[in-house]
Amino acid sequence: MKILFSEIKKLIPDLKVNPKAIGEALTSSGFMMDGFEEIEYSSKKDYLLSFEVRQNRVDCFSVIGLAKEVAAYYGLKIKLPIVPKLVFPENKLDIKVAVPKYVKRILAIRIKGLKNKRSPGWLREYMAFHDINSANLLVDLSNCVMFLTSYPSHLIDLNKVQGQISWAMNRNFKEMVTLGGSKIPLNKDELIIQDEKNIIALAGIVGSRAAEIDSKTTEIVTETAIYDRSIIRKNSRSLKIITEASTRLGKDLDPNGLEFAEKLLISMILKYCGGKIDSQFFDYYPQRRIPPKIKFDPNLPSIFAGVEIPENKVIKILKNLNFEVKKIGKNLLVVPPQGRMDISLPEDLIEEVIRIFGYNKIPSNEIPKLEIVENITPQNIYLGEKIRDILSTLGFDEILSWPLTKKGDNEMVNYLDWNIVSTQNSVNEDYPDLKQSMAVGLVNQLQEYLKKNVEHIKIFEIGKVFGERGNNYEEHEAVGILIHTFFKEKKLSIIKETTEKLLRLIGLADISYMESKNKPQIANSYSCWDIVVEEKVIGILYKLKPQKSNQNTYFAEFNLDEIVKLLEKIQNKPVVELTQKLIVLDANVELQKGETINDFLAEIKKKIKSENIWSIEIIDEFSLKEKIRYTIRVFYKELSDQEAKKIHLKIFNLQ
Amino acid sequence: MINLNSKIINIKDLLQKLEKNLSQVNSLDELKYLWREYLGKRGIVKTLFEGIKTLTEKGKKEKAPLIQELEKTALKLFEEKEVELKKSQSEQELIKQTENLDYTIPKIGHLHPITQTIRMLNKIFVEMGYSIMDGPEVEIDEYCFWRLNVPQNHPAMDMQDTIYIQEPKILLRTQTSSIEARVLENYKPPLKVVCPGRVYRNEKPNKSNHFIFHHYQGIVVMEKISLKDLFGSISYLFKSIYGPDVKMRFRNKYYPEVEPGVGADMQCFQCHGRGCQLCKGVGWIEMGGAGIIHPNVLKMTGIDNKKWMGFAFGLGLDRWVMAKYNISDIRTLLGGDLGYKYYENENTI
Repeated sequence: MKILFSEIKKLIPDLKVNPKAIGEALTSSGFMMDGFEEIEYSSKKDYLLSFEVRQNRVDCFSVIGLAKEVAAYYGLKIKLPIVPKLVFPENKLDIKVAVPKYVKRILAIRIKGLKNKRSPGWLREYMAFHDINSANLLVDLSNCVMFLTSYPSHLIDLNKVQGQISWAMNRNFKEMVTLGGSKIPLNKDELIIQDEKNIIALAGIVGSRAAEIDSKTTEIVTETAIYDRSIIRKNSRSLKIITEASTRLGKDLDPNGLEFAEKLLISMILKYCGGKIDSQFFDYYPQRRIPPKIKFDPNLPSIFAGVEIPENKVIKILKNLNFEVKKIGKNLLVVPPQGRMDISLPEDLIEEVIRIFGYNKIPSNEIPKLEIVENITPQNIYLGEKIRDILSTLGFDEILSWPLTKKGDNEMVNYLDWNIVSTQNSVNEDYPDLKQSMAVGLVNQLQEYLKKNVEHIKIFEIGKVFGERGNNYEEHEAVGILIHTFFKEKKLSIIKETTEKLLRLIGLADISYMESKNKPQIANSYSCWDIVVEEKVIGILYKLKPQKSNQNTYFAEFNLDEIVKLLEKIQNKPVVELTQKLIVLDANVELQKGETINDFLAEIKKKIKSENIWSIEIIDEFSLKEKIRYTIRVFYKELSDQEAKKIHLKIFNLQ
Repeated sequence: MINLNSKIINIKDLLQKLEKNLSQVNSLDELKYLWREYLGKRGIVKTLFEGIKTLTEKGKKEKAPLIQELEKTALKLFEEKEVELKKSQSEQELIKQTENLDYTIPKIGHLHPITQTIRMLNKIFVEMGYSIMDGPEVEIDEYCFWRLNVPQNHPAMDMQDTIYIQEPKILLRTQTSSIEARVLENYKPPLKVVCPGRVYRNEKPNKSNHFIFHHYQGIVVMEKISLKDLFGSISYLFKSIYGPDVKMRFRNKYYPEVEPGVGADMQCFQCHGRGCQLCKGVGWIEMGGAGIIHPNVLKMTGIDNKKWMGFAFGLGLDRWVMAKYNISDIRTLLGGDLGYKYYENENTI
């Protein structure tokens, strides 16, 4: 919101501070100055100040609103523009409101005998400061009142209107040509103003050409209205039209302040364009808004600020902000002023008091002595950090990539039994899906590095992968590792070694591999294994199908959440105390090709009590014609020779 | 048997001859043959010893010590030669087994600048007793908006242009405050938590804005807490990072989940408050938002807002990282253009 220093001075005649100080005061109290410029206005030196207005303070999207804030900060009085007494004849204004659900208040009046013309220099300059092209005197006055009061208004050329004016939902119009000349296709669910033939305006957003004010306009209807802000926001967003009016009416404007704005506009039109009021004062206000009465403990601002703010100071600040304050016992009864739709709770009043008292009066140089609390950091956070350290020590660079992927990417890399999660309104239409594997980002990064002649590519990423299973959206944290080599340098062993080093360093030892059940399309299907720890598949390791004949790329991925679960399980196992020597027994087994030794060993493990197993190892492997012979060595603990032999013979069917 | 009576034994010549022979020996096998020639059963020295018997007593007294001296010296020379040969042989062996040093320097791994920045912040907060939490990135509107006092159609929605999975319920989280909502729901106070994480907005990427970026959220819930505690915590954070002389400014700002709300600014490190392009002429750079947790937020999670109070703060990480690493385009952080120099290790945090 832009405001001229001269405007503030005019509204607060007793103000004695310089424009920079005003900027600092408003910044401190909630309206950050984001622009300050020395300018010339009406042939005089002036300053144009620009402020970021709080989203819940639509009353301050106006000169008067910001001036009230300045006056409150300095404890000064504001002198509002005087609206002369207006006389309204009995003539009826033919207006219908067909959508009471969306209309909170409408004020309207008919003026006849106007003389519209080009705006005077001061008004054209004023519009330019607000980045608005001057249209003509009537339209500029309407905009001027909006900048002064926050309330947008709309002028309708009555000579162009056919029949009754009504507020309704659009059912008939397929398009509208705006005042600016743009043709907008309509969706038939917009709140509109119409006559019996044409659409006159998208209510609260923009007027149409049908009843446009021009230099020949002599008879108008001025209307100011407040709507349910949700319909304005919805229409504005769906039609992609954002105007000064929709910005304000999409927020919570106080209907009680509408009368001042409408009467100010009428008086200005009569002053600058002549003419005569020709109708009664139309006021549609079915449900009058009653401001809240808030019981308020004046000690609360001190408690919240952490410094003493005396009660008399609290009352003074509230009164300077135009709140009604009554003392009732130890408490205050506070009623917010017109326009302050953001005030309904004691906490709102606490903020009002503290922001004017000044945040700069609250010390910031003391480190708070907050009590010690329980550490609730989940294990996956520590684990992620540990993995980052391990992988960077092993020479891997960390990358972060887009979680959104191109259509088709997931189909290439997915190896889990889940569906793709797609966004409905991705910023980039080419990237609608959430990634199912870390391979997407790592392979993209690889390709970028190769384009830029980067060598020695060893990269990793830790992040979320996403999928949908049984109508549930799932995500888990995953670690992806990628190694790329040129020529005939084959490094499958390196990614296997890295995998094992990583898993061992984080505390997992029982690592094995089995041929992947779900092989991603990007993988060489003959070099693709599931990574198994403690009989649980925790990830995948594969060689990529060659992107180019002279290059090799290897990839591994782990499910971090599964690893955390495994670590928690393993950590529960107690340290063992060895009281007897281990009994070592071998057994030869022959498996049909196709049967896996891992499955066989898993079955064997189930048959021995865990407290009696030290380890089970494959010490030899020999291929026969249709079978593979394995020599298995079992280390039994806490058993006598005889006991161990008995178990051994039984579980290997050697009896 | 040699008759030594008529023979003059010149030890010196014999030894010179032996030394010459030894110098020509290159292997232990050759040495063995030479040893036999001199010291073997039929060797020169043995033959000389046997010849002693042919001598007169006087002759024996005269020549026997010479032969003994010859034997002693020869033995010594052979031993020395053997040691020399053995040493040489083992070196030959080592030479055969030599492996060349791989002169390539191993690559140094790097952590992403975002990770490094998160670690730097985590370190400061963990020392102050905070826990670290994360939450889902695919969120429901309940945790992203209305539990944070941001109902549908609230003006704050202007700031939240959301990417939806299933509008209006399921979305990509727009702020790490969603983690705050989950923490408040699932853990009992007192609490001190920081939540670093990735967030999404429906915003066209350009040099300074991206639809994916990183937030760092903090929440504290205690029986008694104030803006003074909040300002002290944020000042401590910035002083820890930028040094004790850093100048901070706190001002009122609107965020629906807090009240009173706070904007935290740092004096521009480029112009020191005079105003420049970086700070858009105002002398201050906005570093984050904060405030006392709104009573509605506590109430919605079942926390008694009469007993407990809390503060929350949120920082945008990406701009910090860009400033620190001199990265001019935010898209670099999550794209293919981020590279690491081969030899430099910046994992110092």
